[in-house]
Amino acid sequence: MFRHDAPAEAQFRMQVREWLEANLPHVLRGRTTRPPPAQLMPWYQALSRKGWIAPHWPVQYGGMGATLNEQIIMTEELARIGAPQLPAQGLNHIGPILMEFGTASQKAQHLPPILAGTAIWAQGYSEPGAGSDLASLSTRAALERDRFVVRGHKIWTTWAHHSDWMFALVRTDPQAQPRQAGISFLLIDLHSPGIRIRPIRTIAGDEEFSEVFLDDVAVPAENLVGKLHDGWRIANALLGHERLATSSPQFALSALERIRIMARASGIIADGAFQDRLAAAAINVTALSALFSHAVELTNHERSLGPESSVIKIFASELLQTLNELLVEAAGGFALAQQPVATNLEEVDVAASYLQSRRVTIYGGSSEIQRNILARRVLNLPS
Amino acid sequence: MDLQLTPEQTLLRDSAARFIAAAGGKVARGYRAQAASFAPARLRQAGELGWLGMLVPAYANGLGLGLTELALVLEQAGRGLVCEPIALAAVSAAALAQARTPHPMLERVMSGAALVVPALQESAHGDDPLAPRTQAAGEGSAPRLSGRKMFVCADGADGFLVSANGRHGAALCYVARDAPGVTLAAMPTVEGRSLAALELADAPADLISAHQSSRSAVDALQDLALIALSAELLGVTESAHEITLDYLRIRKQFGKPIGSFQVLAHQAVNNFIRIEAMRSLLFQVAANNEPYRIDPAMAVAVKAKASEDALAVTQSCIQLHGAIGFTDEHDIGLYLKRAMLLSSLMGNAAAQRRRYAAIAGQTA
Repeated sequence: MFRHDAPAEAQFRMQVREWLEANLPHVLRGRTTRPPPAQLMPWYQALSRKGWIAPHWPVQYGGMGATLNEQIIMTEELARIGAPQLPAQGLNHIGPILMEFGTASQKAQHLPPILAGTAIWAQGYSEPGAGSDLASLSTRAALERDRFVVRGHKIWTTWAHHSDWMFALVRTDPQAQPRQAGISFLLIDLHSPGIRIRPIRTIAGDEEFSEVFLDDVAVPAENLVGKLHDGWRIANALLGHERLATSSPQFALSALERIRIMARASGIIADGAFQDRLAAAAINVTALSALFSHAVELTNHERSLGPESSVIKIFASELLQTLNELLVEAAGGFALAQQPVATNLEEVDVAASYLQSRRVTIYGGSSEIQRNILARRVLNLPS
Repeated sequence: MDLQLTPEQTLLRDSAARFIAAAGGKVARGYRAQAASFAPARLRQAGELGWLGMLVPAYANGLGLGLTELALVLEQAGRGLVCEPIALAAVSAAALAQARTPHPMLERVMSGAALVVPALQESAHGDDPLAPRTQAAGEGSAPRLSGRKMFVCADGADGFLVSANGRHGAALCYVARDAPGVTLAAMPTVEGRSLAALELADAPADLISAHQSSRSAVDALQDLALIALSAELLGVTESAHEITLDYLRIRKQFGKPIGSFQVLAHQAVNNFIRIEAMRSLLFQVAANNEPYRIDPAMAVAVKAKASEDALAVTQSCIQLHGAIGFTDEHDIGLYLKRAMLLSSLMGNAAAQRRRYAAIAGQTA
């Protein structure tokens, strides 16, 4: 965007572009709804065999150890070709958590399958009674000698019905005050007896997430990550990381391109008022790229961005919604079509994309909660 | 989010902070009742500090620094409501230094003994800098200019850098204030400075050649000015925001500090998000562009965002202060007025967006 590739970087970009063109199946390009594992995981595994699945992981754990610029180049090239969104829970959540807090045995057991794409992970945080108020979670894990017995109910668990493992926040001390001090971080094998998973249908028509019922599930004690009752701190330590991952400019860049295609196809591109809104959106996409580059630069020097990452999460998610609103506007009467809208260039999915975008300001900590965090912890406003 | 500065950049930023300690709201107010809009002695001081020649290459006795350094100094100037037109002087000095043989005015402009400002605008709603209506007649390096330039910060200026249409397209020319055929008509503004219409009737001028890396001298100055003004806008916005945060923490109503009311806290957060976005965009563009060859899409994007965000935030800061924010006595209104001026100079947010659409090919 505003970056100019150095010669070596330009070469890397071409290398990435050519490889993607040759190896990403066309059927996986420009998909609004995430393809099911049967289609998506072979692609994940192909990226993994190429050595490109984890640009942000340290080389010692099998990652690329890519420079900031290389990571951004990969993001841009993936957006350009409309690459599908990969399951992030392993690569961006539990992977980094285990790198920092896991035992050698946990790392050896779990990191290679995440890298290889042979294990899929789900995040077991939210519960029906504990969404924004996550600290009030009540899924109970009682320690009995060499195992935990887990009983409770998780919800909004993305891809749980496709996953092999779930990392979960569980209550190990119901008496603790504050409530955060009674929470532990546990790795749960989803093939264990006592687990029932029910997919949930969204307004976008897919079943991206599920609820997970845990009925006296036995979990080996060595599946505890970090110390007992220290789960809240562990989950929060890398929140900055997670907010950054979901805020990649990749999605905004893709959306912008689809708007341009649709606006040209429908003719609205010639309207001055639409041009102004499109220019404003494009400028904000540039600003997001700048924020993202800036944040990645900082994370390359320290472990975690901390509460300032909420700025990016809010900005990226709200921008993605604005872009989808603009896409609906550009499509005019075709915006409601269930099937992707055909244009002279490619098919553009409008309705599903727009409906999908309604969740981005809710998941990963709602925009309202993110603003509370910024107010208290960055702006130091009184509570 | 913190910027990763070199020790030299940190030193530069901190020395700017000391300069602005002698600026501020009270000084800015003082100029409203006067014809002058700044102190010539302070402009010379800025010259001594090297800021006016900050971008001028070393071969012309400047500091040969880049856009990041420019942005750091001007951000501080904006924070302090500095009245000396450091931004316009610095970009004009850079323009005068472009040619292999720098213009004779350069030395005095760098020292602050003289002031030269850009005169590129012609209409109220943004212009195409490569298609000025002002005409440059005659051959070679001494054209004669006829036309009208608008919204020129002419207070205390000794000369102007004018864009005109010559035989080979848009050309940049230096015109002295006291040259024959030059008339100025000042429009007083609510900010305190005057903006002038510059009438040129066959006025003798000097052609300014472009830097070897530039597309054109006009382009180079235009894009540089957009970045400079945006940096100052950032500083103005940050200061207004910080003053407002202090107020939210201290002012009590209903037995509580008003910053504890969620709707006010969220409004302050929204201001903060705008500032962070504008800041990252400015400094990323600064870090990735050279002074004489800025990506024009990026220059207009930066100015569009800075112009829009500065107004949105400074307006909000008045709201967050309540009635006291609406008084002339309180300083917060000064930030809104400075934001009004800087956001409209060289084209307001909407004008920049129109240019962005044209540059990015988003009109058809």
